[in-house]
Amino acid sequence: MRTYWLVEGLLAAGVLAALVIAGTVIAALVDAGTVAVLVGVLGGLAVIGAAVIAVLVPRVDYRHYRYEVTELGLYVAKGWLWRRHQVVPHARVQTVETTVGPLMRAFGLVSVDITTASSAGGLTIPGLAPDVADRLVQELALRAGIEEGT
Amino acid sequence: MIARRFIGASLIPMLALIVSAGIRVILPIALVLLFVGVPLAVLSWWRFRYSVADGKLELHSGVVSRSVRTIPLDRIRGIDVTEPFLHRLLGLVKVEVEAAAGGRSKAELSLAAVSREEAELLREAVLSGARAPAGEEAVEPRPVYQATPGLLVLGGLTSMRYLLAPAAVVGVVFNLADDLPGGIVERAEEAIADRFPTDTMGIVLVVLLAVGLVLVAAIAGSLLVDWRFTVRDEGERFAAARGLLTRRTVHLDRDRIRGADVRDSPLRRPLGLSSVNAIAAGLRGRTGGTTLAPVIRNDRVRELLRAVDPEAPELTAELVAHPPASRRRRLVRALALPALALVILLVFGILWAALAAAVVTGLAVLVGLDRHRQLGHRFDGRRLALRGGSLQRRWSELDPDAAVAFEVVSSPGQRRAGVCTLRLHLGQGAGSRRALDLGEEQATALLAQVRPQLFEPLLVPADAD
Repeated sequence: MRTYWLVEGLLAAGVLAALVIAGTVIAALVDAGTVAVLVGVLGGLAVIGAAVIAVLVPRVDYRHYRYEVTELGLYVAKGWLWRRHQVVPHARVQTVETTVGPLMRAFGLVSVDITTASSAGGLTIPGLAPDVADRLVQELALRAGIEEGT
Repeated sequence: MIARRFIGASLIPMLALIVSAGIRVILPIALVLLFVGVPLAVLSWWRFRYSVADGKLELHSGVVSRSVRTIPLDRIRGIDVTEPFLHRLLGLVKVEVEAAAGGRSKAELSLAAVSREEAELLREAVLSGARAPAGEEAVEPRPVYQATPGLLVLGGLTSMRYLLAPAAVVGVVFNLADDLPGGIVERAEEAIADRFPTDTMGIVLVVLLAVGLVLVAAIAGSLLVDWRFTVRDEGERFAAARGLLTRRTVHLDRDRIRGADVRDSPLRRPLGLSSVNAIAAGLRGRTGGTTLAPVIRNDRVRELLRAVDPEAPELTAELVAHPPASRRRRLVRALALPALALVILLVFGILWAALAAAVVTGLAVLVGLDRHRQLGHRFDGRRLALRGGSLQRRWSELDPDAAVAFEVVSSPGQRRAGVCTLRLHLGQGAGSRRALDLGEEQATALLAQVRPQLFEPLLVPADAD
């Protein structure tokens, strides 16, 4: 998952870099020299910043992401600076589903999304190995009393 | 009945066109509306049928593509009856049937104009099919709250909503004025400027007049909307009726009620007035559907709360205060902006504005201190009571089982101060309630009290690093 977040961040930085380059080139083409320099310098700094964040944040996030399923509920702890502990009792789980994005598939990872009746009370457990995710979904669905195939 | 809906929908673009275009554009559109829209509306009204039988409500509709929709009666969560002013003249009412469908904010079935008898029949049929096992005695409806005109007058005078309403009207008028042909507005402005008094006496008079108008408008708003606001206990549900010209009745199922909010403001506090809302699930999109009392005397709150939730704790029960660290945090939050403004204004030497900023800063200190003083929580074994806010103080009582998810959140600043925030997400449109800046030990104690087993994994300091 760490690598996945890293790649995701780097890709975003790459897109940003492409935009900055395009902006600079266009500004240079329409003969706005100062604007081109400005866009290039500021954009370049932003790209470097994004790349640094892309390298650092996944490590921190990964280290501080925990989940646990007990008899009573599902627990997720996440965040380093802004720390969040979320608790959802099993009886309150409405749906359990897995999602896989194209990039995630390349890494062989799966996300498990848990929704509750509250729009703010949903949880996501990202980046699980498919078999772990399957087992988690099974267990959560069983405990929540969600029948299979409905 | 359908025609009303149709015209309503096309009214706004029509108005826009009338303003912006000439007769050449309007005429064809009017013709199209007349020869296509009206027959279509009549046809769809004619095709529309509903029936209640065998435990389900069936709706038939559609002109070109016909649809039949079936709603099991046990999914129906309420019927709202509204009597708009024009309807009342004709002895008609508007009925909206709400069903428990996820995410849908519109009513399942909306009858724009039916006779009062038909509405009552429909209500009986639907609600008796939905619940109430045969043989159960009908409970004599018992009023649990009734707004007197005097109370509503005071309520209007102390309600931010009604006091600010005239400002909104002025805003709308100015917006409209922008769209009017230029000459009119300027001439009006000149006419006003000519007559505007320039001496002190005159200005004072004008200001007094404006204040008076605002107050009168606030009273009128409160009386119009909440006239004879009555909540009746009908056993399984509460029926809340209100309104002077448009009278609206909403029903609130007792088993959807999870708790209640009692709110007040600095304007209402000295008068001993507050307002009460039910915390209820599954009422998304029904504005005002949870109001139990728009304005109520504090000594009557207890009675109302007990009627709605027999286990409701006392409003006056002592709450556990939050730690001193939260006082500092509240003060900093309240002061940051006005103090910054004050410094900037002083630096630039704009003295009169700096004076105003100083006054605001002083008030902010009071608000910040009060915000801390109001923070509190208490769990009596069944209900959790939470209080917070100052300008809009809210005291909530709720059953922890009503929470769909719990969250303990802490920012770096909060951790340095040794506090955290507990959030209870209630779900189904009931929002969430929070205990802001709980001391860490307080949070641990509270969680251990509320649901010891559930929170055990959080209470073990295993994941502390």
